[in-house]
Amino acid sequence: MYSPTLDNTQRYRGDKTSASSPDHSLIPPCQVACPLHMDIREYVDLAAQGRIMEALQVIREGNPFPSICAYVCTHACESSCRRGQVDEPVAIRALKRFAVEFGGDRMVRAEAETTQVEKVAIVGSGPAGMACAYYLRKLGYPVTIFEAQSEIGGMLRVGIPQYRLPREVLDTEAQRLTQMGIEIRTSTRVVSLDLLFEMSYKAIFITIGAHQSLRLGIEGEDLPGVIDGATFLREVNLGLKPTLGKRVAVVGGGNVAIDAARTALRLGTQKVSILYRRSRAEMPADPSEIEQALEEGIEILFLAAPVRIERRKGKLSVTCIKMELGEPDSRGRRQPVPIKDSEFNTEVEALITAIGQAPQAPQDFRLRIGRGSTIQVDPVTLTTNRPGVFAGGDAVTGPATVTEALAAGRLAASRIDDYLRHRYPLAGKDTHRVLEGELSAETVEMIRKIGRLEPPVLSREVRTSDFKPIELAYDWATAVNEARRCLRCGVGAEITSQDRCASCLTCLRVCPYHVPRLDASGTIQIPIDQCLACGICVAECPAKVIVLRKPYERRHIAEELNHALRSAAEAKLKPFIVGFCCQYGLFGTGTLAALWREAKAGIWIVPVLCIAKVEADHILRAFELGAEGVFIAGCGTQCARENTAASIRQRVAKVKKTLAQIGVEPERIQAFVLEAEQDPGKELDEFIAQVGKLYLASTLMEEVRR
Amino acid sequence: MIVAEQKSLEEIRRMITPYQRVLIVGCGTCMTVCDAGGEREVSFLHSALRLAQAKTGDSQHSFSEHTVKRQCDPEFIDLIADKIAEVDAVLSLGCGIGVQAIAERFPDMPVFPGVNTSFMGMAKELGVWDERCAGCGDCRLEETAGICPITRCTKGILNGPCAGTKNGKCEVSKDMDCAWVLIYRRLERLQQLDKMRRYYPPRNYRAVPRPKRIVSKVGTAAGESNG
Repeated sequence: MYSPTLDNTQRYRGDKTSASSPDHSLIPPCQVACPLHMDIREYVDLAAQGRIMEALQVIREGNPFPSICAYVCTHACESSCRRGQVDEPVAIRALKRFAVEFGGDRMVRAEAETTQVEKVAIVGSGPAGMACAYYLRKLGYPVTIFEAQSEIGGMLRVGIPQYRLPREVLDTEAQRLTQMGIEIRTSTRVVSLDLLFEMSYKAIFITIGAHQSLRLGIEGEDLPGVIDGATFLREVNLGLKPTLGKRVAVVGGGNVAIDAARTALRLGTQKVSILYRRSRAEMPADPSEIEQALEEGIEILFLAAPVRIERRKGKLSVTCIKMELGEPDSRGRRQPVPIKDSEFNTEVEALITAIGQAPQAPQDFRLRIGRGSTIQVDPVTLTTNRPGVFAGGDAVTGPATVTEALAAGRLAASRIDDYLRHRYPLAGKDTHRVLEGELSAETVEMIRKIGRLEPPVLSREVRTSDFKPIELAYDWATAVNEARRCLRCGVGAEITSQDRCASCLTCLRVCPYHVPRLDASGTIQIPIDQCLACGICVAECPAKVIVLRKPYERRHIAEELNHALRSAAEAKLKPFIVGFCCQYGLFGTGTLAALWREAKAGIWIVPVLCIAKVEADHILRAFELGAEGVFIAGCGTQCARENTAASIRQRVAKVKKTLAQIGVEPERIQAFVLEAEQDPGKELDEFIAQVGKLYLASTLMEEVRR
Repeated sequence: MIVAEQKSLEEIRRMITPYQRVLIVGCGTCMTVCDAGGEREVSFLHSALRLAQAKTGDSQHSFSEHTVKRQCDPEFIDLIADKIAEVDAVLSLGCGIGVQAIAERFPDMPVFPGVNTSFMGMAKELGVWDERCAGCGDCRLEETAGICPITRCTKGILNGPCAGTKNGKCEVSKDMDCAWVLIYRRLERLQQLDKMRRYYPPRNYRAVPRPKRIVSKVGTAAGESNG
């Protein structure tokens, strides 16, 4: 469910929604799926333009710790990404990692001032606690984090292995919290909430996580050599090196089981097997994690469960039974049923149990506990049964994701603020509608298929020898190309006035995706769930009643053109040439800058978000304001669409015809379609020389006339 | 729909030469649909005229623009009366009817056509329009299987085809279909080929007085004070 509370309703790029220029964009499915409701479409779009620092700015608006999510987010956004209906979802998490690595996240300083007097205590320093502290501190409260372990981070520190989340990343974020003036008290276990209140804390946020491993409930579970996953990972992550032996079995099918198995492998275990009682389809672990574990040589025995553990000659003899899948349970997962007489033995030196975890709130907290030992809270106010005590994160939900915990922490900060300011919690108002509906088969067919580009990973041999992070960041070009795959759901075209629409059907005829259609009453409709915001109809509509739903897109070219012309007025280089260049991909990756640097004339680039949006009028305007030549440069096979250039060529032909009547030579305009591997400099040089000659001739004529 | 194409910039500039302030008026119906005088074309022409002025430096016009919903009804034109009052001439991108409607409504205002009104027709595809009706006032499409020989036959003959037909094409251009072959084929499909056997007497053009007027209102005489 999308609940727009405390969300990034502040839109980036200064888009002030006003009556004259309303933002009618819809919230895309990725943003709905994200527990933090991050403005994913926006930052992916900025990444596609190579505007990494701005992308990071958007990311930071919606996420207090993007560097952490860049590594470990389970990316619900990707599962709901509509690009998946075409080929594969956009690699959103990897793009975030790219923005964090290259956008200068390390330089960002978090600052906060104390403006409130009420002290808030946060019990637990996992992602929920960190996020809550961050936002409360931003609101001006004095905040103290209490952490039982020696270092902060909760599961991020003691649960997630270092090869998935490097500790430097966590340390940087922890430092930032300290910079903000948050007091962090590690190795401090809170035993009594009353004590905290006595220490004059006015509100307490309990976010103690779910660290207690569930028991298998079988014979031999307490034998030496049997260890639970949470404890095992905690020991390793806090620097201990448990001796496991040559053969290790892990019981369970979640992310903790996979983490434990891969950690065991990195500690030098020769053979690691995972026992899972269902089949791969039911395995709750992240599919890519399973894939990587298999790559590393970890064996997974599906449909197998231990029934008895015995200790023989210093080894564990684990008796297992084979399972088959029976009827689905209430959650729709098929239940494993033991197959009679199918027992088998396996011999290991250690057995790690990882079949789930639960919170364990101290009894002295006197909190009402619900199903699965979770702390019960009011879903709206997040308050527990005790006044001033709030709870969130895994301790309330049971084991969940980092992003969900961050969202819980953020919400808690807002609720605690409401509580301390004596306000009734009000849900934020977001007037944006949510985009619903799938892409139609016809639309999908018309979209150019471009496979997902994955970031590079360390080879299997290198990565299993230690705990180095296995995924590397994208290189610049790959990241930009991957970001270009975004379909930009929800910002498509809309008809501003059906009254002024002449029903000429131009939009219906120019749309490369066959999106506009006539409804039964003969009115043109542009279904927003199908439109991919290419902007061709916007530039062609004879009545000029079609606009893109984001105000920024409407003003963009005109504003950039004015800007270029203002700057050009001070330039001395002649001839003065205006270039409308696609800002996506090819030109966004610095080629634009290269063009600029090597320019042998006064070239002023007007960056456009696809040349399909350049209107005939824009070209005339460039000439009117003094350009000696105009070129339009867009992408060829890199473009998200087939044959984008056709529409712009049409417009260029029209402009040429008009200009010829004024005595402006048609050679002064040219449209380029460039490929990534092509050097745009050469063709451009020819064009500049061409315009240069015309310029020279016209200045000579001028002299003669005088 | 009425189809037109914009006049050359040269011709337009020549027409407006004596007038300093010029209002370019677009039309939101047919001229928008046929891409000759809708809001986009108005603003394109506006830019082009300004640019021409800047390049040649031979004139000092000031331009303004407005697109009305439909120029062929005085009520719509009245909506821009204040704008028209502020200029020295109107350049209408409406069809010939629109130009005349504005001229009629504003007797003291010079009004110029920005487009050549060409025919009544339909879109074949994006950016291509074909003539379909001559507005002859005496429709015979019932006899010709819904294909008009007046507009679609080069000669406009009523008893075709003539000897100039070859492989279904007209002698005037091998890309042009012979209208009478089209009529024959379609009558054949409709099993009405007997209509080909009939002789259609020549039309009496004198029976179609100009200007025409259609009166559906009681008490108005045909032709009274028309034009």
